[in-house]
Amino acid sequence: MGGICKRLPAECILLDCHDPAAEKEPIIRRLVEALAQVHGISDADQLVRDIMEREELASTCLGFGCAVPHAHSPILKNTVIAAARLNPPLNFDAPDNEPVSLVFLMVGPENSAVLHLKLLSKLARLLHDAGFREELLKAETQEAFHQLICRKDE
Amino acid sequence: MKLLVFVLNNEEFLEEVLEAYIEAGVTGATILDSEGMGRFLTYEVPLFAGFKKFMKGNKPYNKTIISVVRNQDTIDRLKKLVDDIVGDLDNPGTGIMFTLPVDWASGLVPEDEEV
Repeated sequence: MGGICKRLPAECILLDCHDPAAEKEPIIRRLVEALAQVHGISDADQLVRDIMEREELASTCLGFGCAVPHAHSPILKNTVIAAARLNPPLNFDAPDNEPVSLVFLMVGPENSAVLHLKLLSKLARLLHDAGFREELLKAETQEAFHQLICRKDE
Repeated sequence: MKLLVFVLNNEEFLEEVLEAYIEAGVTGATILDSEGMGRFLTYEVPLFAGFKKFMKGNKPYNKTIISVVRNQDTIDRLKKLVDDIVGDLDNPGTGIMFTLPVDWASGLVPEDEEV
């Protein structure tokens, strides 16, 4: 099991979510809440603030409808990942102006920058594969989505 | 004969380092402007912008000095002199030095004519 797969439990995969106001922050908040439930994160508000602070620094969009918002936060002990498939796609302020359909949120403690960097790079590499993105967009269940990630992450 | 590569992280030491090269017997070298992968990723690739704070203390640009050296004694002398100038290369942020065997070369200037 690869580093991404084991940090992304199926319960933290939100399929076809949407925000009525079409805003980025509510989606991130839902992902943080999913992480908080599974991992027992105490201060979800602080984590959302840390992520949004990073979002203001520069875009975390990879292009081709994918975004990987991420942050280091003093409230975390481990690096964890959540994912959302957005339907309809949402404006994430991507440099290529493409609306985003796949969001992978990664958060970790400040003292694990190297691990964070490795996982971020790997995630970006996996998402460059158009066929893989297509499969993620078609996955019918959280488990199927999770299995696709795990197979690719081996 | 070896190719000696030295990535000097702190450009401020370049002049002293080149003096050490000459003193050690390396009288010809090529100096390249170079930059660390960390600087490029954090400043040029938006996805990695959040890692800028981990770059503190790292020099964004560096110099890479390449030279062909004919014997190991010269490299040993140079290594000692370089350590005195930039500090032990095992300390992070000082530099990286390594050699590669050269089995053929053309166009090298005889050592006593270089500079």
